[in-house]
Amino acid sequence: MDNLETRLVKLALKGDQRAFAEIVDLYKDRIFHLAYRMLNNRHEAEDVVQETFLRVYRNLDRYDPGQKFSTWIYRIGTNLSIDRLRKRKPTYSLDAEIGDQDGADGYALIPSDNRTPETEYMISETRTTIHEAIDDLPPKYKTVMILRYLQELSLQEISDVLDMPVTTIKTRVHRGREFLRKKLESQSY
Amino acid sequence: MDCKQAVSFMHEYLDGELPSEQARELRSHLDACPDCRTAFRRLEETEMMLFAANRKDESVSLSDDMTDRIMSFLPQPKKHNPVWNWVRRHPAVTAAAAALLIMLGTSIGFWNADTQLVLKGNDLKGVQVQGDVVIVPEGTKVAGDLTVERGKLEIYGDVEGNVTVIDGSAFQASTAHVAGQVKDINQAFDWIWYKLGNIVSEVAYR
Repeated sequence: MDNLETRLVKLALKGDQRAFAEIVDLYKDRIFHLAYRMLNNRHEAEDVVQETFLRVYRNLDRYDPGQKFSTWIYRIGTNLSIDRLRKRKPTYSLDAEIGDQDGADGYALIPSDNRTPETEYMISETRTTIHEAIDDLPPKYKTVMILRYLQELSLQEISDVLDMPVTTIKTRVHRGREFLRKKLESQSY
Repeated sequence: MDCKQAVSFMHEYLDGELPSEQARELRSHLDACPDCRTAFRRLEETEMMLFAANRKDESVSLSDDMTDRIMSFLPQPKKHNPVWNWVRRHPAVTAAAAALLIMLGTSIGFWNADTQLVLKGNDLKGVQVQGDVVIVPEGTKVAGDLTVERGKLEIYGDVEGNVTVIDGSAFQASTAHVAGQVKDINQAFDWIWYKLGNIVSEVAYR
């Protein structure tokens, strides 16, 4: 099972800086989106990305090649994001949300040939609704929903990342889904 | 099937984990129950929206120089000493090997290590060595102790300290004068006592 990541890890352990830079390139966006969705703050999400790779670098010799590299790095990134969420003062989250609104609108500015402005607007509205709804979830549901729908991990992979039984993950996905359904319904009617 | 059971099946279905037999049961329940039909449609929509909303989320992206920034943040590459790495990864084996080495070392060094002459003392100016014979000539004075290992010691002059001969022999001429004790150690057991005695007296002096 000598896949790309395992090879890069081996090279990086031998002191090959370029190999580590490649690991960073492979995962930085995924970790950033995970952290951004969790924290809803660009600056903090970038901090999480940096911290994640610093930890990966320091603990590279402890990486077990029997485990998927993605599972390992997601675990580090998720834990760092959860830590930050827990340390937050309630007002902080509100500030962050307001401060980041222009970022969320950025997508609508990207030109798209096969979409009318109306559908574009609908998509962007739905997205905002869903992101707000996810943001309202308690951290333990939030994490699972982000890993499932943003990172598109399987239930088994989420269970590996969070080190929890699959049955627990399932329950959380089901409850999170119900919560979001109700939220969306209340928005549209 | 009741509606509660149906909802649970709906979630399993959306997880992609509902066996086909249960899927058929759910199907027939949905055909009969309009409320559950609506609930199922909403759940399916939610699921689709969740994936859609997140998948093409390019509204925010990481700054381009992130990789460079991370690389510059990293501590300097660790020095990789293969021996030390091995030792760190195998502490038990290392400890066992060290113990074995010490045991081997002491048992060899104990007695028949080599045949080389060893001469120790803090004042060896007048002492002569001829082959394996150590001579303190007549008229010379050795200030302090004198130790000879694996050699013959012949004393014609004065020694102001103790004389110790290990695995060798000591000869004192009539002109010789040794102020301290003369110890002749020829057996392993004595030698241990001698070593122990040295440690004890060293400790005692400090």
